[in-house]
This record gives sequence, structure tokens and C-alpha cells, in this order.
Amino acid sequence: MENQKFYYDNKTVKLFLLATIIWGVVAVLVGVLIACQLAFPAFNFGLEYTTFGRMRPLHTNAVIFAFVGNAIFAGVYYSLQKLLKARLFSDVLSKIHFWGWQLIIVLAAVTFTLGISTSKEYAELEWPIDILLTVVWVIFGWNMIGTILKRRVQHIYAAIWWYLATFLGVALLHVVNSFELPISLIKSYPIYAGAQDAVVQWWYGHNAVAFFLTTPFLGLMYYYLPKAANRPIYSYRLSIIHFWSLIFLYMWAGPHHLLYQALPEWVQALGVTFSIMLIAPSWGGMINGLLTLRGAWDKVRDSAVLKFFVVAVTAYGMSTFEGPMMSLRNVNQMTHFTDWTIAHTHIAGMAWNGGMTFGMLYWLLPRIFRTKLYSEKLANTHFWIATLSILVYAIPLYWSAVTQWLMLREYTPEGFLAYPNFLETLTQILPMYTLRIISGIMFLTGFLIMVYNLFKTMAAGSVEANEAAEAPALVLAGKRKPLNETIHRWMERKTVRFSIWVFVALFIGGAIQIIPMIFIKSNIPTIDTVTPYTPLELEGRDVYVKEGCYTCHSQVIRPFRWETDRYGDYSKIGEFVYDHPFLWGSRRTGPDLARAGYVNGPMYKNSAWHYNHFMDPQKMNEQSIMPRYDWFAKKDVNLDMTPNKIRAMQTLGVPYPEGFDEQAVDDLLWQANQIVAELKLSGIEIEPTKEMVAMIAYMHKLGRDIEPNTNQNLDSHDTGE
Amino acid sequence: MTLVSSLLESMTGIHIFYVVGLLIFITLFIVIFIRTMRRPAAEMNEYKESIFNDKDPDGSERS
Ligand code: HEC
Repeated sequence: MENQKFYYDNKTVKLFLLATIIWGVVAVLVGVLIACQLAFPAFNFGLEYTTFGRMRPLHTNAVIFAFVGNAIFAGVYYSLQKLLKARLFSDVLSKIHFWGWQLIIVLAAVTFTLGISTSKEYAELEWPIDILLTVVWVIFGWNMIGTILKRRVQHIYAAIWWYLATFLGVALLHVVNSFELPISLIKSYPIYAGAQDAVVQWWYGHNAVAFFLTTPFLGLMYYYLPKAANRPIYSYRLSIIHFWSLIFLYMWAGPHHLLYQALPEWVQALGVTFSIMLIAPSWGGMINGLLTLRGAWDKVRDSAVLKFFVVAVTAYGMSTFEGPMMSLRNVNQMTHFTDWTIAHTHIAGMAWNGGMTFGMLYWLLPRIFRTKLYSEKLANTHFWIATLSILVYAIPLYWSAVTQWLMLREYTPEGFLAYPNFLETLTQILPMYTLRIISGIMFLTGFLIMVYNLFKTMAAGSVEANEAAEAPALVLAGKRKPLNETIHRWMERKTVRFSIWVFVALFIGGAIQIIPMIFIKSNIPTIDTVTPYTPLELEGRDVYVKEGCYTCHSQVIRPFRWETDRYGDYSKIGEFVYDHPFLWGSRRTGPDLARAGYVNGPMYKNSAWHYNHFMDPQKMNEQSIMPRYDWFAKKDVNLDMTPNKIRAMQTLGVPYPEGFDEQAVDDLLWQANQIVAELKLSGIEIEPTKEMVAMIAYMHKLGRDIEPNTNQNLDSHDTGE
Repeated sequence: MTLVSSLLESMTGIHIFYVVGLLIFITLFIVIFIRTMRRPAAEMNEYKESIFNDKDPDGSERS
């Protein structure tokens, strides 16, 4: 067979490597900033653009899509070419992919800072950027599959199955979760409502972890770990079994994010069972990775690359054990809404994704630049600082989670909550938040040491943009030889067929959970007294979304005595039917607000209290870490949009009367003037069109509908009926 | 919660999705498992080693 000459595209790999490094610094920096904000609210700088609620999505998205995302593309594009003995399918696609992805990141940073957000965690991007993301993602898939099709080897190595699953999985998740109705270029409402929206969102959220933070990294592990150790993967058989069970099982486990909340029992049972089953394939992967190093542990001692990989794979094993444990109901009682989840995600993020990325950077960058790493010693220093910082991060937060949980559920002998004031429990854990800042600074320091080391390395070498190579052309595979070929082998000989099977495996899991939620109306019983939001309340709700209040406040009360005593009656599924999007939140840095408008409940505060609190929370409670929102008193609600919003809601099935959009602004002003008058009684002057008024109206709507006999004067007016 | 779950218990046919899914998984798992285990070791080794058939700049080539 005659050899064909071809060239590897190293330039694209180099660009993605650089982007990984640069965005990584930004992502960690913003992380340190929000860690500071949680310990010392002064770090919100009193500016709307830099408040925690807007910076937190910036941090999570920068870590996931900018830092980890670029690392995935660099790692995939390099190994794909080497494994398949082929140049990337198209230079043009590679270029569009790279620049398109960076454009998305910049747009994300700008829009989040401006408060343009859908409020769905890790999917906060508004619809035009969602569409751009879809396009760029398809280009990535096209480029990858094109490369596979023109490969020069018969067998598609294990790493590449994971890359393909990543492409298909993320595509499916992103599209399903992003169905939204635009009302302007920068605002949309999801077509799902309430509990349904929650299930779709956490099916996405959970599987984003699976298909963006796990499957691509397992692929990278199957290539870079054996390469760096210079010995083959421990068991190829295990890699096959590991692959199919993992992608099949992952999709089912989404609802474990919503345990004990207002969700059907069977959805919860489903989530829990599959979460537990997930341990098996996850550990299969970890064992396969670690056993690859058997007999090579002496190499690990000297090599920073291998050390990072070992910590990463171990952390992967720990997190995938911890995760299923956290989905057990009685454990979840504690871990949900507390810092436990935050610790969990950071072990996975800093150690697994971070460790794999750092190891890969130290291994790959010198190769691309055809030189040696500038300093192995600095790389080892980075390793130790990073590893230590992960411990300094996780241990205090586990401590904080347990402490706060114990305090929240403690009762006096007389049967009252021992700490009825939520703030007391928060004050107790604030020292842990200071430790977290230290951890963040350590991690950042290690990162910067790496940046220095890598830039020195780059300066010493040069990239061969098109690296020459040769290999014989691929002989076309014949028909399936049924007896001596595994199904897996047969399927993956044909990329397209293989992709379809992966898609089917993914689809079964996703569909089983979502189809019933969407089509079976009886799943969500209606409550007669629950009315749609008035225009003013709707505007207030949109401000809540914009400011990211959901990053600190939940709006769903679980059926435990210590929650219902503190926050009010537990949440019912039917209360959320008009919520586009749902706003249940995932972390209670502040108290739950689901019953903030329940007049005779424990959470109710009057308008003047809310006004003063938003103007300066620290003046009301010195220990509060809530940012101030004094611009609420200055900024106007955009009344031009109000009728559009009502019409959009009608399209989504919210039962406003016919033609209500025309009266929406009048209705809004009428209700706003009531609040203005109320505030005046407390000596507060404010115009009715300010965001403050809308926000107060929204706060007073929360949970009010199911309160018996509080015939508030607004009720009859609610929908103009 | 009991309120929610009692309402949902009346949803007939829902559990079947779940059970069928599990069955599909278990069947596929057994089939893939058996067929994978029966592959000759030589073939598995060939795949494992395949990643080293490239000319790495540092000469870490094995075969
Ligand atoms: C950094 C986290 C954080 C953010 C962001 C945040 N809050 Fe808070 N919030 C808190 C904390 C902590 C408390 C408890 C201390 C206090 O009352 O100030 C609190 C208290 C409250 C209370 C009083 C609850 C009660 O009855 O005791 C309300 C209402 C409230 N927040 C609404 C909001 C709204 C609306 C937003 C968005 C504009 C928001 N919060 C953003 C942390 C936050």
C-alpha cells in the first residue's frame, strides 16, 4: 500500500490552547471576585454591573464554556488528527469554529454584565447567542465527523467515541433546553413553565456536566494519559463497556437536582436509581485510568503531567461517588441548597477538569511548539499549590454546609426554631468564606505560574503550523462479519451508524423523562386560586431574573418542619404553572422567598421594609451579605415592552383575558400607585415607574395566591376581570 | 408532597417507560458485555497500542 502525504493542522490546536490559558485566568479571577463578594459585600462595588447576581453566571460560564470548552477543542483537534492520521476536515471550518467560539464568549461576558440573562443555570445566554452557539457547535461536529470520514486508519480509537458522544449529547441538550419565545433581541421567555421548566433545565444542567465536563474529558483521558505515561490503556474491553453504560445511564439522572421539591414521586425515584447506577461506569473509567499507571508510579513522582492526571482521575472517582450519594434523599436534605454542592462542583471542576487540562497543557504545548517545557520545577510547584488549594476550598465548605444545616433544623426544647433568623446561620459560616478566598488566590497563583511557564516555553520554540506526515490510505471495510465481530466494533466502523446509536442511547434517557412531563397535563394539578402575574409583578419578576437574585435565593419550600416553620407552607407543583422561567434556585445563600408575600407567614415584610432593604441591606442587618440595589429607585421599567410581554405570555398559554395587553400599562400604573401611596405613608417618595416598585409588587405576590382569606384589594384586579 | 404523589399515582402507564428503559439497558448491557469479552486479546492489544503509531517529536514512539 502506497503512503499518502498529508499535513497535521497545528495552528488551530495552538489557537485553542492559547484561548484556554487566557480565558482560564479570566474565569478564575471572576471566581475570586465572587468569593470576595460573598465574604465582604463591599466587593460588589455598589455597581449594578458587578453585583454577585451578574458575576456568578459569568464565572460559571467562563469556567465551563471558555476555559474548559477551549481546552476540549484543543485536546480533541490534536488527538483526532494523530489518531486518525488525517488533517482536520476543513481549514475554513476550523477557523469559523475558533473565532465563532471566542465571539460567543465575549458576547456572554458582555451580556451577563449588562444583566441580559435567561436565569437558567449554565444556559443563561439569551436566544441570539443560543443560536450562534448552535451554529458553531454544528461546525465543530461537522469538522470532526468530516475528519473521521477521511481517516487513514480502520479502527476508531476509544477516545473518539467520547468526542462523538460529546458532540451529539450537547447538541441534543442545548436545543431542547433552549426553546424560548423571544420578545426582543435581548429578552425571551422559555416555552416551558414551572415544574416542567425545572425538569428540562436540570435534565440539561445535569447532562451539561455529563457531556461537557465528563465525556470529552474521558476521551482526553483515553488519549493523553497513555501518551504521557507511554503505556497503553489498562483495558480496552473495559473502555467499551464503560462507554456504552455511561452514555446510556447519564441522561436519566437529571431530576436528582430537584429532590424533595415539588416534583412527582416517580420522577424523583427515577433520578435516584439511575444516579446510583451511574457509579459503576464512572468507576470503570477511573479504574481504567489509574491502572494504566500500574508499574509506572515512579514516573508519576517526577512528572507534573502525570501527577495532574492522577489527581484528576482520582477526583473524578470521588465526585462520581459523592454525586450519587448526594442524590440519596436523606443526604440530599442536607447537601441541597447548602455549600456542600458548591464544594462538590469545585472538586470536580478544579481537580478533574482543571487537573486534566493542566496536565494536557503541560504535555501538549511543548510538543506543538517543538521544544521542552521551560521548567518542570515550576510545573511541580503549580501542581502542589493547586492540589492544596482544592483542599482549602472543599474542607471549609463541607464544614459550612454541615454547620448551617444543623443550625437551620435545630429546635429549642419548647419546640421553636433555635435560630429563627436565617442570618444567624449565615454569620456562623462567614469565616469559611474567607478561607475560600484564600483558596481562590492560591489556585490563581498556581495558574499564573503555569501561564509564565508556558509563555516561556512558547518563546523558546516555534509552531510548525502544518506538520508533514504520511500514512497509507484506508482500505474500505466490507460488510459485517457477524460471527467474529462485536456489535460495537461493527457499529463504529461506520461513523454515521455509530453516531446514530449513540444518539438513540441518549435519546431514550432524555425522552423517558421529558415526554411525560410535557404531554401529560394531569402531571401538574392546577390550583384555582393561583392567578397569573399582574403586569407590574411580571416586570418585577423580570428584574429578579435580570439581577440574578436566584443565585442566592430559592423559591421552593421542601416539606420538612424546619423549612415550613421558617419559610411557610411547603410548595405545591400547581403554584408554578405561570412561571416562565421557573425560579426555584439551587443555593440558599439568603433565605427562601417562595412565601415572601404570604401576609401572615414568617417571611412577610411590608413595602417600606423592602424599599430600605434593597437600598442598603447592611443598614437593615449589619451582617447581611446581600448586595445593595439602590439603582432600583432610579431606573425605570420599560413600559413599551409591557404589552409585548403580556402577549408573549398569552402565546405561552397564560390565561390573561383577550385584549389585556392593551390595558397592561394602565393596570401596571394603577397597582404601582397603590405601592407608591403605601410607601408615602412611611415617608418614602418614589415614582410609580421605578424598578423598585415593580420588585416590591413581585415580592408581595410570592406565595400569596394560596394564602386563605387575605382578600387583598389587588386580587380582584389581578387580571383585569 | 403526599398531595402531589397521590395525584400522580393515578397516572397509569407512566412506570412502564421507566421499566422498559431499564430492560433495554440491561439487555444491551449483557449483549455488549458478552460480545466484548469474547474478543481476542490480540485485537484489543492492537487497538490499545494504535495510539503510539505516530511520530512524536520527542521520539516517544513505541512500535
Ligand atoms: C449575594 C447573595 C444575594 C443576592 C444576589 C441577593 N440576596 Fe437577598 N438576601 C441575601 C441574604 C444573605 C439575605 C438575608 C439577610 C438580609 O435580610 O439582608 C437576603 C435577604 C433578602 C430578603 C429578605 C428576606 C426576609 O424576609 O428576611 C429579600 C426580600 C431579598 N433578599 C430579596 C432579594 C432580591 C429581590 C434580590 C435580587 C435583586 C436579592 N435578594 C439578591 C442574599 C442575597
